[in-house]
Amino acid sequence: MSALSRERWQAVSPYLDRAIEMAEEERASWLESLRAREPAVAADLEMLLEERSALDREGFLEGSALPPAPASLAGQTIGAYTLVSLIGQGGMGSVWLAQRSDGRFQGQAAIKLLNASLVGRAGEERFRREGSILARLAHPHIARLVDAGVSPGGQPYLVLEHVEGETIDRYCDGKGLDIRARLRLFLDVLAAVAHAHANLIVHRDIKPSNVLVGADGDVKLLDFGIAKLLEGDGSGEATELTREGGRALTPEYAAPEQIAGGTITTATDVYALGILLYLLLTGRHPAEDARGSTADLVRAIVEVVPRRLSDSVANARTIPLQARERNAGLRATSPEGLRRALKGDLDTIVARTLKKNPQERYSSVTALAEDVRRYLENKPISARPDTLAYRAAKFARRHARGVTAAAVTILLIAGLVGFYTARLAAERDRARFQAQKAEKVAQLLTGLLTGADPYETRGKEPTVRSLLDAGAQRIEKELAGEPDLQAEMLTVIGRVYQRLGSPDKARPLLEEAVALGRRAPEPENERVAQSLNDLGVLLRGKGNYAAAGPMLEEALAMRRKLLGPAHPDVAVTLVELGRVYEDQGLEDRAEPLLREALAIRRKTLGEEDHETATSLNELALLLRQRGSTAEAESLFRRVLAIDRKTRGDDHPDVSAALNNLALVAGDRGDYAAAEALSRQALAVSGKALGERHPRRAMQWNNLASALREQGKYDEAASALDEALGIAVPAFGGDHLLTVALKVNLARLHLARGEPANAEPLLRQALEVYKLKLPEKDWRVGSAESLLGAALTKLGRYDEAEPLLLEAGSALPEGPGPRGREARANRERLAALYESWARSEKAAVYR
Amino acid sequence: MVAPTIASLISSTESGDRGAADALFASLYTELHRLAQRQLARNPSGVTLGATTLLHEAYLDISRREAAFSDRGRFMAYAAKVMRGLIIDYARSRQAQKRGGGFAITSLGTEGGGSPADDKDLSRISDALDELAAVDRELAQIVDLKFFCGFSFAEIAVMRGVSERTVQRRWEKARIYLHRTLRKTSLD
Repeated sequence: MSALSRERWQAVSPYLDRAIEMAEEERASWLESLRAREPAVAADLEMLLEERSALDREGFLEGSALPPAPASLAGQTIGAYTLVSLIGQGGMGSVWLAQRSDGRFQGQAAIKLLNASLVGRAGEERFRREGSILARLAHPHIARLVDAGVSPGGQPYLVLEHVEGETIDRYCDGKGLDIRARLRLFLDVLAAVAHAHANLIVHRDIKPSNVLVGADGDVKLLDFGIAKLLEGDGSGEATELTREGGRALTPEYAAPEQIAGGTITTATDVYALGILLYLLLTGRHPAEDARGSTADLVRAIVEVVPRRLSDSVANARTIPLQARERNAGLRATSPEGLRRALKGDLDTIVARTLKKNPQERYSSVTALAEDVRRYLENKPISARPDTLAYRAAKFARRHARGVTAAAVTILLIAGLVGFYTARLAAERDRARFQAQKAEKVAQLLTGLLTGADPYETRGKEPTVRSLLDAGAQRIEKELAGEPDLQAEMLTVIGRVYQRLGSPDKARPLLEEAVALGRRAPEPENERVAQSLNDLGVLLRGKGNYAAAGPMLEEALAMRRKLLGPAHPDVAVTLVELGRVYEDQGLEDRAEPLLREALAIRRKTLGEEDHETATSLNELALLLRQRGSTAEAESLFRRVLAIDRKTRGDDHPDVSAALNNLALVAGDRGDYAAAEALSRQALAVSGKALGERHPRRAMQWNNLASALREQGKYDEAASALDEALGIAVPAFGGDHLLTVALKVNLARLHLARGEPANAEPLLRQALEVYKLKLPEKDWRVGSAESLLGAALTKLGRYDEAEPLLLEAGSALPEGPGPRGREARANRERLAALYESWARSEKAAVYR
Repeated sequence: MVAPTIASLISSTESGDRGAADALFASLYTELHRLAQRQLARNPSGVTLGATTLLHEAYLDISRREAAFSDRGRFMAYAAKVMRGLIIDYARSRQAQKRGGGFAITSLGTEGGGSPADDKDLSRISDALDELAAVDRELAQIVDLKFFCGFSFAEIAVMRGVSERTVQRRWEKARIYLHRTLRKTSLD
């Protein structure tokens, strides 16, 4: 008995995503509008949300399936100690409370039993030796390492001073310590690290969980030097677990040089201390925004200059009000009070610890401690604030060829505005920004960006992206009173991000624009429709059709209502929605939408308009897929005629039209005509785009198919070579298009009677397809079918059968190229059963 | 005939080969069990095995044996399901016989609150999870990795190549689904 059928679950799933992400207060009204639009989905959604509050109360699945503390080791002896009870488990192994058992000394200790694989190849001897050096480190704020060794049973262990306490961040929050009290506590941490550094020991893994504070406020640093102890002989040979991304190195607290494999020095600890301080003061990690994936985090650590402390606590875009208030409350102040307290000297101190270049950080932990002390005593600090003049001077120094910093900046901004204006002009076709509106937006951007301090990028040369980032932040601050303009600018910058290939940056801006628009007195307005449209396009680009569909439908309904049924903007959304359906294989739902868009464009733009031609082309492609070859062909001819007339004979669009005509010729079985048309298409695109243009890859591929069908295998092979030679460097080996080329190469191998060459290509292709495409996509079916055919030829019938059967269920019957695949698959099944001597089964597929 | 590699079994499984799926499960099961036994042999007085450690080691072992092996995230997704099987079997045998020697598989998270589910619950959760897998495989994999193997959201995010927030949201959805399923089953 399952909770919901697969279909119902899939229908409700995207809405559940949104509901989970949504703030409580937003949800009610959103649910209400959903109930009006999709009552069945809304009912399921509410049922699931109710389930959610029930499971939260019960703490459902909150623990683990696994028992946390087996008592089996209690009573064992390790060296002079007897294990008493398990204190904790961590990535390195387990930690036990132990009692000294030889009677010579009193007292307890913590024993860390390490996973054997952590000790590394340096072996037991070095482990013991290093351990004895660390054991000499004695300081009131350092938890002492008493002994390190390997038990006779091969179990590596560390004996540590037993410390009871909470991690420093929890301690500070629990006591509600204000900024000054936190800094005083932090000075104890610094004293401990300074002592270790004086003894030439670097901690290497400073993080909150390694800094405990006892109930009496006593700070103890744990695990001093243990990261090194575990790392190997210092020649950079990491042990397996470090190399495999285990927990020995904690990326959140790693310095750039640790990530990059540079030299580890005391400056590495300075950096980690900076992160710890950042966390204690703001409640946030400096790379908080980048903590999504390890790759992002690593990039942030190595490249991105963190937000200033004071900006970090005040940023309304990234931190919800609740969180800001909570963070400030834990520091006995208000968000504004916190921002003020951090602004200035503390900003400067932390920024200095977090420099990417170790040499730009504080020269020692003592120097850092000195500045913290000076701050507490209200004396001027030693660190140099990153003033505009200072940064400008550095910037100019890097551009020593007589170019002044100001000139560089002005050039960049002029370039950027030019870029925007060009973008907007180019987008006018689709987005329908009226000319004067585009200009207004460009003016506003100029104002914003010339007003923006380009050195906000802190020492790095401003780039288009960093200026965009700065622009996005300023929109929030400076246009706070003008939600209309704010929404508009968010949309513009969001779209530019999208065009630059950063959909993840674009998405929150567009979502914010939608939210702003919905709060306006007229929640249904053109801007909201535009943002919804853009969001839908973005989500489709990410393959999230379930979310893209509803967005575009809403945009469509809104535009129809506001602009009337025959407005060009309505056509834009119709086409986008049609594409979403098409991508999902729902051609029958897409077709009427594309026809409607075409009718609107014919009426409002005329027959010989570029956009009308685009619409014709789009519809023709769909009709071809549906098997309406004749109609598709006549539409393609029309497109070719319009393109030739409006764009000239050597335009890339003409080449595209020729290519499409080649495809329908192939559909009709006229491969000689297909070959001729493909060659014409390639001739035009070579002239118009250059020989190596990525678009030509598919044209070479189509030529190869036409050649293969005529039995011209060698020519086909060299055409595919050309195609792959363009596609692999341009898109990468795993791109869907590249994979399609490889599938076609496999097809050629099969046609040539070389099934063994086809097999690996098809397996590779399937691997990528399964990752990137929905389960029942026809391309998956088509590759499976070909693999089945190859295996049949190789006599591996029992492997071939399930593939061909599976393919049969993925390939839609009917006319059109996909139907052709389905028919081919049936023939392959018949061939399989015939070769397998199961003719009664073969008959079914004949 | 040479025994197929784990890597090839994974790719055949992904091409929909049911036989390969079973063979994959069986060989991973053997692999994990062997590693657990090896630990036990090293430390006969009984040893605690971190589920995540065991999986890491299995991955290391296999990737050392099979040079072409590269996709750790995918490996973990399959191995985590096998680990669930191992845990359930272990729980069942624990139900059957008083616990003696042998080994215990433990979670590694230090901060994992809550108490472990009892053995009967585990079987029911596992059954519900199989149903979820049929409806939404990705969600089920996250439960295997998190609840049964003790990986953190951050680790799962890296393995699946998505953001931590996405993992948390999927986890939340999976819990909702499972909770609903279990409640319905107990009503039926």
